[in-house]
Amino acid sequence: MESNLTNRYIELNMGPQHPSTHGVLRLKLTLDGETVKKVEPVIGYLHRNAEKICELDFYCDALIYFDRMDYVGAMNMELGYLEAAEKLLNIEPPERVKWIRVIMAELNRIASHLVWAGAFGLDLGMLTPFFYVFEEREKILNLFTEITGSRQETNYMSIGGVYQDFNDKIIFKIKEFLSEFPKKLDEVYNLFVKNDIFISRTKNIGILEPEVALSYGVTGPMLRASGIPYDVRKDEPYLVYDKINFTVPISKKKDVLARFIVRFEEMRQSVKIIQQALDKLPDGPFFNPKAKKSLMIRLRGEGDVYARTESTKGEFGVYIVGDGSVKPYRVHVRSPAFKNLSVLPYLSRDVLIADMVAISGSIDLVFGEVDR
Amino acid sequence: MIDVKEVEEPKTIPIIGSIEGMYTVFKHLFQKPVTVQYPEHKEDQGDRFRFRIYLSTDDCVGCTLCEQVCPNLTITMVSLDKENPRNKRKIYPSVNFGTCTVCRNCEEICPTDAIYLKDVFETARTKNSFFYSPTELEKNEDEVRR
Amino acid sequence: MSLLTRIAMILSFLGHYPSYILAYIIETLIVIIFGTVVVAGMVYFFRKYMARVQMRIGPNRVGKFGVLQVMADGLKLIQKESIMPQGRDDLPYKVAPLIIFIALMMGFIFIPYGPLAWLGTLTVTHSDVSLVILFALIAIMPIGELLSGIVSNNKYAVLGSLRGVAKDISFEVPMMLSVLAIVMMASARGVSPLDINGVVQAQNIPFAILEPLGFFVFLISMAARASYSPFDMGESDSELVTGNTTEYSGLRFGMFYLGLFGTIFLGSLILSTLYLGGYNGPFESYLGFIWLLIKTLVVVVISLTIWLSMPRVRIDKFVTFGWKYLLPISFINLVITGFIILGGIS
Repeated sequence: MESNLTNRYIELNMGPQHPSTHGVLRLKLTLDGETVKKVEPVIGYLHRNAEKICELDFYCDALIYFDRMDYVGAMNMELGYLEAAEKLLNIEPPERVKWIRVIMAELNRIASHLVWAGAFGLDLGMLTPFFYVFEEREKILNLFTEITGSRQETNYMSIGGVYQDFNDKIIFKIKEFLSEFPKKLDEVYNLFVKNDIFISRTKNIGILEPEVALSYGVTGPMLRASGIPYDVRKDEPYLVYDKINFTVPISKKKDVLARFIVRFEEMRQSVKIIQQALDKLPDGPFFNPKAKKSLMIRLRGEGDVYARTESTKGEFGVYIVGDGSVKPYRVHVRSPAFKNLSVLPYLSRDVLIADMVAISGSIDLVFGEVDR
Repeated sequence: MIDVKEVEEPKTIPIIGSIEGMYTVFKHLFQKPVTVQYPEHKEDQGDRFRFRIYLSTDDCVGCTLCEQVCPNLTITMVSLDKENPRNKRKIYPSVNFGTCTVCRNCEEICPTDAIYLKDVFETARTKNSFFYSPTELEKNEDEVRR
Repeated sequence: MSLLTRIAMILSFLGHYPSYILAYIIETLIVIIFGTVVVAGMVYFFRKYMARVQMRIGPNRVGKFGVLQVMADGLKLIQKESIMPQGRDDLPYKVAPLIIFIALMMGFIFIPYGPLAWLGTLTVTHSDVSLVILFALIAIMPIGELLSGIVSNNKYAVLGSLRGVAKDISFEVPMMLSVLAIVMMASARGVSPLDINGVVQAQNIPFAILEPLGFFVFLISMAARASYSPFDMGESDSELVTGNTTEYSGLRFGMFYLGLFGTIFLGSLILSTLYLGGYNGPFESYLGFIWLLIKTLVVVVISLTIWLSMPRVRIDKFVTFGWKYLLPISFINLVITGFIILGGIS
């Protein structure tokens, strides 16, 4: 009883069943009144042992577990795994497949950022934009159903190819979507950034210095909003990103608002990328005959491979060790959301609870990926 | 050289921007709702949408490839007493839909196209079991329901 | 001829005073029923409006267009078990929702509703100090909020009610100052200024046109009083679960919920009474009640649009805003009002 009286700090628990936290994040807060003195993220509530399960299955089967890591941007996860697995198995996808993968990954990047924007709005108490962005995302998911056969966990890409080919109807539908999308995006964007209260909630909040960001291993839009133009798509181009003309948006403001604007600019760049990819889409087969479907479970790989891609949250790295059998010996994932989360305690020193919520919302956490 | 573009913070006029936002929200009052009233109206799912696994026991040769490729033990082979000259071992796949992730690997690997998926997705069952035996996999969904 | 006298005439066989006393009670009951129905309608209207603005359909299963949804929800809340936290302070815990609900319902009694066709004036009370009583009732409601938060033995609730108190203190002084300007205005016209009825009669020109600053201050204060977004920092669901109502369930939670929507409606009612001319309309005034309802509905739609399109204000920013901007603005408003009265414009 005595300790309760002398202790001026309040211990408060946010999550894992708290309306503000994304997924199942649990935050142990030490509060001095309204001020947050210390934040301790507790993770592991969605740990599904994905890395280990991948070792128990064939190379082609690991895809469904990667789908379920970052379930909001599942295509980027599949892409990250395949970049590594195809290098290990010595299977080069045909040219058409590379372009198709770029289109799918960028469509999913838009969908993922839209979900983030909506959830961020809810964090700050904006109820309505959530539905507008989800309406746009729904159109993308309908496109996915048209292309891949399922909405979110698509399992669309396979080793050396894709599940099914694009046809004229699909290309027409994507173009139709892209022609309307930028207008809707601007509408939602203005709904956010023209609002005085939104600006006051985000401007100069959660300033992340570039040196700190680098030392914590922060990547993706978080890092770019701190002023460092690091993008794997540009720095180490995979697929056909070197043939596509796009810019990397950065901001020198380093705050939550900068992260918001950078993500919206990235969506606009993604639209540009998809339009170029649709124009340049070459003809050809949509899978490598070496990885024909009946040979799916006989692919053997030896050695170790690390491949990195730019997922929606940041640099997504996959490390695979093969021992010459049909199953990988070890699969390791460098998950960007996990690394980005590690900077939350640094950012949330001596801020108000409301700001802490805004900061943790700006990180873009998907817990399937953090816990794996 | 990386093509870098520095984004700028939008210039806003105080209060006017917020009122614009309020007007944008109010404008949506006159738009058609996008909700789909599910049981009454069913949306077109597209040509490639797949969910329910079907099996043609006449074509199945009992090669167990689908069981091997299945990532999470959804498919298990069970023996079934049925005259099929191509299936000497008399084993056929059975599916537990409780764990099926619709990865469609079984459909792709099947050498005789005995296993195939269709766009039937209303597989709610009255029993607390999603386990489909090979004969049930052959039937349509409304015939299976017990 | 007012509704009161009509009821009293029907009851005249009881004698003069008993009939009037009974008529008062009956009319008060009618207003309370009106208040409850209006609050339930408000919940329905909010859900439907929010749904349509968000491109959804909203309640449409229970009854035609889902009109019975609110009733179904209410029945559900009544049936639910009231889960109470351990270590609560029992009496304040149970009294807190009642304070809010009763203060809200009593607030409806003091509004001048104006005449409606052959029924005559619907106004219940004709107190000389009804304005003071009304704002006293509005000032009681934060007590319920504060009690509910502090006694429910929950950290979220304590933080929420502390925020609520900080918010209430920072907007109520400017609110009362802007009301003071109205009283000045009304007294200059020779009506009894503390009677809301007098204030309404004084509005040949709506006070919102003469005192735009006061209107602005009062609009913000009413939004903050009802504590919807952007001023819902007391129950901000993304930070403090639901703030002071975290530990409430069942009917007690329902009272808080109805209190929220009732306060929006009551605030809009007061706003249209004090600033938009109340039951005065451009045409013949025997439909004054309809005018009042139309004005209130417009204010309600504006409030709900604000709710749905704004993020939450940070509590310290709101306190700063209240003391550094709202208070000076309301003082300036007072001075301007003084000049208006001296200039004899009114």
